[in-house]
Amino acid sequence: MTRQLRVDWPACHGRGLCHELLPEIVELDEWGYPIVTGPVPDALRADAETAVSSCPRLALRLVKP
Amino acid sequence: MSEGPLLWYLNRATGLTLLVLLTASVVLGVLSTGGRPGRGLPVFVTQHVHRNVALLSVVALVVHVLTAVGDGFVDIRWWQAVQPFGATYEPLWLGLGALSLDLIVVVVVTSALRTRLSHRAWRSVHYAAWVAWVCALAHTLGIGTDVGHGRLWAVAPTAACVLAVCLAAGLRLSRWQESSHLPAGRTS
Amino acid sequence: MNAPPVPYPDEIRVHPGPALLAGIERGPSLTAHRQQYGDLAWVDVDTLLELVNGVALRGRGGAAFPFARKLETVAGRARRSRRPVVVVNLSEGESASSKDAALALTRPHLVLDGAVATARALGATEIHVVLPAERAFAGRRMREAVAERSGGPPLLLHTAEPRFVAGQSTAVIELISGRPNLPVTSWRPDAVSGLDGRPTLLSNGETWAHVGLLVLQGGASFRRLGNAAEPGTALLTVTGSHRLPHVHEVEYGARLRDVLPDDAAGAPALIGGFHGSWAAWPTVANARVSVPGMRLLGVPLGAGVVHAPGPSVCPLALSARIVAYLAGQSAGRCGPCLNGLPALSAAMDRVTNGHGGRARLEELAQLVVRRGACAHPDGTVRLVRSVFAALPGEVSAHAAGGCLRTPEGLAS
Repeated sequence: MTRQLRVDWPACHGRGLCHELLPEIVELDEWGYPIVTGPVPDALRADAETAVSSCPRLALRLVKP
Repeated sequence: MSEGPLLWYLNRATGLTLLVLLTASVVLGVLSTGGRPGRGLPVFVTQHVHRNVALLSVVALVVHVLTAVGDGFVDIRWWQAVQPFGATYEPLWLGLGALSLDLIVVVVVTSALRTRLSHRAWRSVHYAAWVAWVCALAHTLGIGTDVGHGRLWAVAPTAACVLAVCLAAGLRLSRWQESSHLPAGRTS
Repeated sequence: MNAPPVPYPDEIRVHPGPALLAGIERGPSLTAHRQQYGDLAWVDVDTLLELVNGVALRGRGGAAFPFARKLETVAGRARRSRRPVVVVNLSEGESASSKDAALALTRPHLVLDGAVATARALGATEIHVVLPAERAFAGRRMREAVAERSGGPPLLLHTAEPRFVAGQSTAVIELISGRPNLPVTSWRPDAVSGLDGRPTLLSNGETWAHVGLLVLQGGASFRRLGNAAEPGTALLTVTGSHRLPHVHEVEYGARLRDVLPDDAAGAPALIGGFHGSWAAWPTVANARVSVPGMRLLGVPLGAGVVHAPGPSVCPLALSARIVAYLAGQSAGRCGPCLNGLPALSAAMDRVTNGHGGRARLEELAQLVVRRGACAHPDGTVRLVRSVFAALPGEVSAHAAGGCLRTPEGLAS
């Protein structure tokens, strides 16, 4: 089942770990903030969960679309 | 095995190692807080090495405590490793070591449960890591046998650790001022 | 804090109307209100649902969300251990809108009756009323009205902080919770989990007034107004240059131009407030007040804000000033909004001054939409895009270094 990455925008400080861990579905805009380009495929599910727990601001969540 | 100097030597060795590991953890922790994406090592690498070094120091801490309690040369009881007062042997310096251990336990446990806490709560507790390091340093200087005897191979690394943490603290303070995620000109 | 291009008024004109604003000449007191409408009956949730479904009541805060769905959700989630909450949002952070202030001035008890009846039906333990920061006259009158009432769930008053985004629903919940009045990420709708995780029925003041009228009078008189597809009325705030805001109650289906001043004729108008859309005069002239109808025209009605500055005001220059104001009104916490809106404003200025940069403007627009805790960047982008969609002639003139509105060039 696909999941979607959602950013908690007031918490995000643009540290970029999510992009480092999931370059396939997270790009960075010109100010360093994440652009989620698509849903999380099953193959990347584990990486997405790592990104969620590694976010220094806990600003990322995995939700049902 | 409580007679003979083996445990005592192991205790001293793990003590110094522990200070170095704690220092490395603090430095890596500070390095994890800043940096723009794309510069140098990926931030998640620094963050994960920080966590692994911190866990290694917990292992060293456990051995350090086990050997201190197990060794018969001085009288240190189990509870004196966690209660920062009331010891018979060097109560002040040992107590500081116990305080450091208590703070390290709290920091490690809250970090393991980080995703279940609010970010603010986790961060407030995590600042105690600095206090834990200072207590560990005081414990080293006060009760550390080799540092106490002025042996260079112990004093030099200790001094290097102090320098490293001072630099890390300076870097951390400068990043606090920076509020780097705001565009130029905005103050809040 | 930068001042809005359409100033917050110290005074407004409220015109009598067929439903909400009927009998306002008798004054706003509770006595006059009860004389006109009688006592507030106790209704249960099912009766209330029947009433609001019977007229397909939509929220009047701008999103036009079906009220019945909110009510059902809150009623369904209510438990003894998780009592629902009712919130009346009168914060009206949009300076060009004055309809909520008009209700506070002339019909506060209609608003409160709606909230009280709903709170009783739901078993809510408290009603929170959020007053505007900038319109002290409205806040004062509402406080007086609250003081006149007794019985029913307690009415707790709060005053919004003076900013544009203060009225956003999560910002309102934050204010009531004792935190700064700023939007936060909403992981679940307020009706499911709002204040303290409780099911929260938050609606705009005008919506509550309609609910009040339905409970006091029933649905028949509501359905006699408007038309079969869209029964009832809506409050519109009409502003222009150099005049006080006028608040009118119009039936759905009425011609928009009937409430516009004569000096607005021939010129574009901004519909839906600062997060709204420009409409060229022919569109304005033919428009009928209607939620789906105006959405089809590309100028959603929103919260009924109509700014008709007249032929001598340059809509591009005004839009650039609005975008600059909105950029300054960012809550300052979401990176794309905090960084993107000032950049958008700079790009808008460049285009307005004939220095090009349309592509950059659109690039920035795409970078800020749906990337924030609230719809502030999205609304700003809607405004910007509407300039190009509705006013191509003006845009071309500016691209060539001139302006259709002021022969001398650009003046505000």
